[in-house]
Amino acid sequence: MARNKYDVDESLETEFNLSHLKRLAGYIKPYGKEMFIIILIMTVSSALGMLTPVILKDILDVYIPNEDIRGIVLIGVGLLVINFIIALTTRIKISATTKLGQDIIHTIRSDIFNHLQKLPFSYYDDKPHGKIQVRVVNYVNALSDLLSNGIVNTITDLFSLFFIVAFMLYLNVRLSIICLLGLPLLMILIFIIKKKQRVAWQLQSNKSSNLNACIAESINGVRVTQSFTREEESIEIFNNLSMEYSESWLKAVKLNFFLWPAINNISIWTTAAVYVVGIAWLDKGLAGITVGVLAGMSGYIGRFWAPINTLAGFYNSLLTAISYLERIFETIDEPVLVKDKEDAYDMGAIEGQVEFKDVSFSYEEGVPILNKVNFKANPGDTIAIVGPTGAGKTTIINLISRFYNLDSGQITIDGIDITDVKIASLRSQMGVMLQDSFIFSGTIMDNIRYGNMTASDEDVIRAAKTVRAHEFIINLENGYDTEVNERGSRLSVGQRQLISFARALLADPKILILDEATSSIDTETEILLQEGLKKLLVNRTSFIIAHRLSTIKNSTKILYIDEGEIKEMGSHDELIDKKGLYHDLYLSQYQFLEKDKIS
Amino acid sequence: MTAMQWFFSYLRNYRKQLIFAMVLVTFTCVCAIVNPQISGIIVDDVIKGGNREALPRLIVILIISTLIRSIVKYCFLLIFEKSSQGLLYTMRDYVYRRIMRQDFNFYNNNRTGDLMSRQTGDMNAIRHFVAYTMHAIYENALLFIFALVMIFVVDYRLALCMIAVMPISVYITIKQLKAVKPAFHNIRERFSSLNTFVQENVSGNRVVKAFAKEDYEISKFKKENDAYRDSELQAAQIWKKYVPVFDFLASSLTVILYLVGGIMVIKGSMTMGKLVMVSGYIWMLNMPLRQAGWLANDYQRFVTSIEKIYATISVEPEIKNPEDGIVKKSFKGDVEFSNVSYKISGEEILKDINFRVKAGQTVGIIGATGSGKTTLMNLLCRFYDVTSGQVKLDGIDVRNIDLYNLRENIGMAMQDVFLFSDTIEGNIAFGRPDCSIDKVIEVAKVANAHDFILDMPQGYDTIVGERGVGLSGGQKQRISLARALLKEPSIIILDDTTSAVDMETEASIQEELRMVDGKHTVFVIAHRISSIMDADLILVIEDGRIIESGNHQDLLEEKGYYHRVFYHQYGDFDQISKNGGNSIG
Repeated sequence: MARNKYDVDESLETEFNLSHLKRLAGYIKPYGKEMFIIILIMTVSSALGMLTPVILKDILDVYIPNEDIRGIVLIGVGLLVINFIIALTTRIKISATTKLGQDIIHTIRSDIFNHLQKLPFSYYDDKPHGKIQVRVVNYVNALSDLLSNGIVNTITDLFSLFFIVAFMLYLNVRLSIICLLGLPLLMILIFIIKKKQRVAWQLQSNKSSNLNACIAESINGVRVTQSFTREEESIEIFNNLSMEYSESWLKAVKLNFFLWPAINNISIWTTAAVYVVGIAWLDKGLAGITVGVLAGMSGYIGRFWAPINTLAGFYNSLLTAISYLERIFETIDEPVLVKDKEDAYDMGAIEGQVEFKDVSFSYEEGVPILNKVNFKANPGDTIAIVGPTGAGKTTIINLISRFYNLDSGQITIDGIDITDVKIASLRSQMGVMLQDSFIFSGTIMDNIRYGNMTASDEDVIRAAKTVRAHEFIINLENGYDTEVNERGSRLSVGQRQLISFARALLADPKILILDEATSSIDTETEILLQEGLKKLLVNRTSFIIAHRLSTIKNSTKILYIDEGEIKEMGSHDELIDKKGLYHDLYLSQYQFLEKDKIS
Repeated sequence: MTAMQWFFSYLRNYRKQLIFAMVLVTFTCVCAIVNPQISGIIVDDVIKGGNREALPRLIVILIISTLIRSIVKYCFLLIFEKSSQGLLYTMRDYVYRRIMRQDFNFYNNNRTGDLMSRQTGDMNAIRHFVAYTMHAIYENALLFIFALVMIFVVDYRLALCMIAVMPISVYITIKQLKAVKPAFHNIRERFSSLNTFVQENVSGNRVVKAFAKEDYEISKFKKENDAYRDSELQAAQIWKKYVPVFDFLASSLTVILYLVGGIMVIKGSMTMGKLVMVSGYIWMLNMPLRQAGWLANDYQRFVTSIEKIYATISVEPEIKNPEDGIVKKSFKGDVEFSNVSYKISGEEILKDINFRVKAGQTVGIIGATGSGKTTLMNLLCRFYDVTSGQVKLDGIDVRNIDLYNLRENIGMAMQDVFLFSDTIEGNIAFGRPDCSIDKVIEVAKVANAHDFILDMPQGYDTIVGERGVGLSGGQKQRISLARALLKEPSIIILDDTTSAVDMETEASIQEELRMVDGKHTVFVIAHRISSIMDADLILVIEDGRIIESGNHQDLLEEKGYYHRVFYHQYGDFDQISKNGGNSIG
């Protein structure tokens, strides 16, 4: 799928079919028992509710003519008791349906979130993050009404519908059939607008996703927007999306609203038909049609259409929900490309020997990034990777952690193919410091501890000291307990790098991967940091990508990568002597000096 | 202004539509009363009474009145939806504007997920209120009053009995409103928190995977997910106490009517006909009462959200555009810092900064991580304001210059590169969306980005992911550099812009930059000596102070920080030039 922007609708690649509803039913199934009990209670309560008019009719027809005050009072008290019971059942229903709905939503949300954790970088790279987020939070929330009150009310209403039809049939079959004739009419109408509704709600869910993505990006990129004084343009873009959202919403509800008047009119037509035909039959003296039957019928027709109204409402919200559901399921169904083999085992503690054997890799078919890369790193080695930007340096180290699967070739650690072991057991032995140092909102202590949850405060401080972060941290307002923001906006980039460096170290990894870990750190700090690291690196294999050559000069081995191949490999001295690419690169940093004749 | 007054200032714009729609609501309410009456007449008169001639006319009235009523109802529902969407559109616009104009401190103190919730979840609560709750309250109140009036007309004693439930229901409504408020507030908090968590998890997905912390994230998410569910359940625990009470009151009303009415009929103080009539109106009392609990919930959800939104937008930005700020087409680019200090939450970030740059000069800034280099530049752009002292551009205090005019004249490539999920062209042309592709290519060449861009699958039309994922650090930096250059500002700030760029590329970028230099005042923050050594003025910052300043030569002679750094980076130059010096140059 092509990479998506915030103002472009995502195409839907799965067609709607009944399986979505079946899957939804699968989520409801575990609550079958609860559901059954609620529905039972509600049915009893609605049956009680239906008793009331019958009893009241008795007051008018029997007790008042008989002037039976005692009877009236008794019945009144009885009714109050019944009403009290009904109120109690409502209370139970509220508790139970909220619980039911929230539990199901909770499960769906867990499923989508847990699945997202398994998805590769590329999934996150291909679409604006706001669009992923909206599925986990807003879309799932949109189901809550449907899953709590919606289902229970619908089933309860189906029962009362059943009772009412039974009563009607009992009163008179033929008149009942006239009344029921309205249903096919309604079905036809529903069938006609269904397709339009589907399209409208799909569009609406897309627009809401776009808007969400735009908001997320606007907030995250606000510094750029402000420094480029692009606020007005951003506002315009936002307003366009906001308008599209509003319009799509109106379009969708317009169709939804259509159902209600339709039902109302159909119900009146059938009522009228029952009156007209019924009276005609009455006058003809048809068997079974009496004044009482007709009067009774007229009462039930009204009651017959009320639950149909709720059912239609349910149907509407179902259609709405499906446009969200299919997005949710689409995410849950997203294939996990990098996953444990079935017989994958725990890796166990490693020594740290890493070997690339004929490794080829491409992100997109036909655009090779790495081509038959071969090298070996022994435990304790420091491997520096240099080369022009975009040469494939980051790709190499990403492959060690198995963030992607290879096209061909093999990567082994201690002689074990990394695809044979459990991914978690592999990655937990590596300390990776990414190019883009991400700081979670929380305290600095928490952020460093992310590398190793079981580390004590002392361990965290020790790691911070090693990377020379300790000093600036204790100078902050609350030291290690200072709350930092997502993306660490209170911290400078260099400080963030130091924190994520400490985080990587705290993991006590056998393999340490530093991707431009120190690019924004000043030279003095870096030198101190490297001194501290020297001791730490003794028994660890480390991979370092850096552009400041002073950082990498002392590496065991330097790989010069270009165009996805290792062009040169060897120690600093060897490569300088070779007078090749590395030599030129190394000297390029001095070219200004030559000009100024300074040495 | 309170949150409510703020909301009404928006609602007021739709008063015509809303009043018209309320008239329609009133009309349908009347229809709703008429229809059952006609049905009643048909049953009593036509069926029971045998008055067959009246039937056709009554049926026609029934059908037509229903038709009209449904059309009218459809119309007013749409008017409410349209008004709510219109209101929301302007409100979202305002909230967005407010947020976009906030200063950096606001963003340091507010999490993205929370701000997003204001624009999504909370807005939705307002939509629901305007589109539904408002007219539902009106409709129910209307029915209730209609019914009371009619019952009064029939028999005032019965009406008084009915009114007796009023104080009870008002009392319960008030109690409920009070009781559910904290619960709904809690729901919004939890929602916000869940949103923030998911947002960070998605943004930080690389770190999560790199540390194999998926299980940890899942368990943390479970807590958020649980907390959100529990907040909903807690709220239900509260309102479930109230909603059934209304149900009970509503159904008891009927019982009271029959009890009291029945006894009155028996005692002869009322006729049977009147009792039957009143019982025909009783549903109009029942329905509003049953709805009251739910509507109270809806109302309180709305209030919680509007308060949350209002609290967010009523934070005044500390950085304000001056009234009558000076606007100039272009500034020359003379920059002066005099006695500048900057403090935040008691911490001194910058102290007594003094320096002066002439237009067209280049300033190099070097210093330890967190020493205040970026802050220095942020003061120039007025992302923060000085605590004391003055920052002057062309001799004018930056606080007296129109904020947008000021920033338009400064091109900044930030340390933390943010790209938008847009094409590369769109990203470079961010500052000048209407500029030609040629211009984009021109600056991309200066930034040494042209070649790698052409190598990408769709060249300049390649969409880069949010935050530029899919590009290497160096590539992102070069795009960000091109973006800053395209503005053709009088001042260019390059904050660590080439740290992730390899040495050779940096050299050629500098070569290119030198060609466009002279027109701009350039600030270069860097850690590599090579990036700043040619600068007219080099400032060494330590702990928020300028500890050394001068040109490359001066600073080397000073044998201080700069010299040390130089030595670290180029200390082995002698050795190299001996070994392979021939190839230099």
